[in-house]
Amino acid sequence: MAIALDQKTPEVTPSGFRRWVSSDTFSAWAFLLPFLVIYLLFLLYPVIQAVIMGFYDWDFLDISDRTFIGLENYGRMFWGTNMTWDATHIWQWRLVGLLGIPLVIRAHRRGSVSRTAMITLVVGFIALFAVAMGVHPGADGRWYDSQFWGSFGNTVLFTVMSTPAIVGLGLGLAIALNRPGRLVGFLRTLFFAPYVLSVAVLTLIWAFLLNPTTGLVGAVFEGVGLEPINWLNNTTWAMPAIVVTTLWWTVGFNLVLFLAGLQDIDKSQYEAADIDGANGWEKFQFITVPGLRRTTLLVVTLQIIASFQIFGQVFIMTRGGPNGATRVSIQHIYESGFRDFELGYSSAMSLFLFVVMVGISVLQFKFFPEEA
Amino acid sequence: MTATATAPATRTAEERAHGRSVLRGRLFMALLFVAAIIWIIPMVWMFSLSLTPNEILQLDTTNLLPQSPTLENFSDVISVGLTPRWFLNSMIVTGVTTLFTLILSAMAGYAFARIDFKGKKFAYPLVLAGLMVPKEAMFVPLFLMFAEVEQHNTFHALALPRIAAPLGVFIMTQFFTAIPNEIEEAARVDGATRWKTFTTVMLPMAAPALTALAIFTFVLTWNDYLWPLVSATQREMFTITTGLASLQGNFAQATELGALMARGVVASLPLLILFVIFQRQLIRGISIGSGGKG
Repeated sequence: MAIALDQKTPEVTPSGFRRWVSSDTFSAWAFLLPFLVIYLLFLLYPVIQAVIMGFYDWDFLDISDRTFIGLENYGRMFWGTNMTWDATHIWQWRLVGLLGIPLVIRAHRRGSVSRTAMITLVVGFIALFAVAMGVHPGADGRWYDSQFWGSFGNTVLFTVMSTPAIVGLGLGLAIALNRPGRLVGFLRTLFFAPYVLSVAVLTLIWAFLLNPTTGLVGAVFEGVGLEPINWLNNTTWAMPAIVVTTLWWTVGFNLVLFLAGLQDIDKSQYEAADIDGANGWEKFQFITVPGLRRTTLLVVTLQIIASFQIFGQVFIMTRGGPNGATRVSIQHIYESGFRDFELGYSSAMSLFLFVVMVGISVLQFKFFPEEA
Repeated sequence: MTATATAPATRTAEERAHGRSVLRGRLFMALLFVAAIIWIIPMVWMFSLSLTPNEILQLDTTNLLPQSPTLENFSDVISVGLTPRWFLNSMIVTGVTTLFTLILSAMAGYAFARIDFKGKKFAYPLVLAGLMVPKEAMFVPLFLMFAEVEQHNTFHALALPRIAAPLGVFIMTQFFTAIPNEIEEAARVDGATRWKTFTTVMLPMAAPALTALAIFTFVLTWNDYLWPLVSATQREMFTITTGLASLQGNFAQATELGALMARGVVASLPLLILFVIFQRQLIRGISIGSGGKG
């Protein structure tokens, strides 16, 4: 009876619309809407757009002028003329790649990678490094775009050189500076400070610092009686110089992450080790290293992903020179699109880089899921 | 007299070991101190050159203390070229980006963390997936989007892609999740709407997380290089970062080095000031932003 009455009274039963407006689902979506619109429009949609553009020959100067060319952009990236296969072609790089296989097997033994995943990965590694990377242009042949592989190789080289240096120094500094005190805090600030400089200020300082006639590095070399080297104009030294510049710039970021990781390690573990009479090295080996596994994985992943996107330092300091020695992937993508006006081709290359980066982070979290 | 003379001899082995470790600790700190000083020299050098007259720099550029210091390089920054305009552009773009990142991230983070709603299981992973998208690799399609509607060389073209980054949402979701339920329930029982609870109860509580996010966003946006390079091609629309980059190489290097370094100082000053004041928040922003913990 009472229920029947209630249903007839509009004041007690709000209309469908009003009930919907006051529901949790409505308010949640209202809170989300402003962000989601911008997110879908300016972050997710460009990824889809990149996939589409990769199938087109798309002119920068007249963006309505486009022709569907299927997979031609990808053929241009990955293929060339007179292609042959060779077991020993760039065997050093491929050997390093194949070292991933024991890592996969070890991860499987420790139970962090399933049997199917392990077999897929091992087959994938063999297919990629043992087979696919042996393909190259034979005599009289050439890559359709040799700069694509050249710049990608330089990007990998930069990543391989910079990651151990930056992560290692960041860890070392964090351990050294992980103690209370005003002086230590001040030193932490000094090591971290370069991180807040923009890339243009970084290059401004370092291009002159490394300059053999005006720079401090040259002055130091002269001071000890050595001939100053024109670092950035030397095919051997240009890339190491970029690595050192980047090291100086970003080590503070890793220092901060490692310090946070160190502070998460339970202090009582060290106290217990002291009672057991452990020395500094033993404490480092058995408490600090395992305690930092998660942080290290995070730092290495972030570092690799950041390294693959290197652009500003190189583009401003060397323009990719000398002789293409420091030309990196993003620069090639940028110049293909904005100097050679081929938006479709540069989109296809962006996607390749995107897939490589996602692949690396997926692999890392697959190998070490227990720490992630 | 005799007591002091014999004291070292009677010290136990343990005391001596302790003395050695104190000495080693001090030596270690001294080494670290020297290393930190060397580390900061490149920045000191920039400041020194910016305060040195250009005539002196033609002869010697290796002084870490300015010789006959002058501010003429800084008056050159104001009177010659577009540096003040670029500085203003950067201020506008960075300010707007930071403000909108804070508002939108806080709202979205609140919804994800505090409300159970239909579609959440789909929406949150969708936003997290965005963390995987490398911004630097997706600038070509983004360029095309803005070109199609002829919106390049505008402030909103510079700001919008950065506001779309999901990192802030992730940080704020983490933060709001950690707040105990009772606080919000008390407000809800009093009849406050979601919006009222959000603005009057949750936002004030989130001040530390918001500050950290703000500083982090400010630094990243101010230092953005690739997107402004691609989007703002008119010199008047350059940011200080792309503008300063455009000057390198073009400048008559030997004669104008001081003026160039002064521009470098001006470009870094806002961040250095922020860094000195908010170092703690910036560091917190980095560690929650990267590791998902506060």
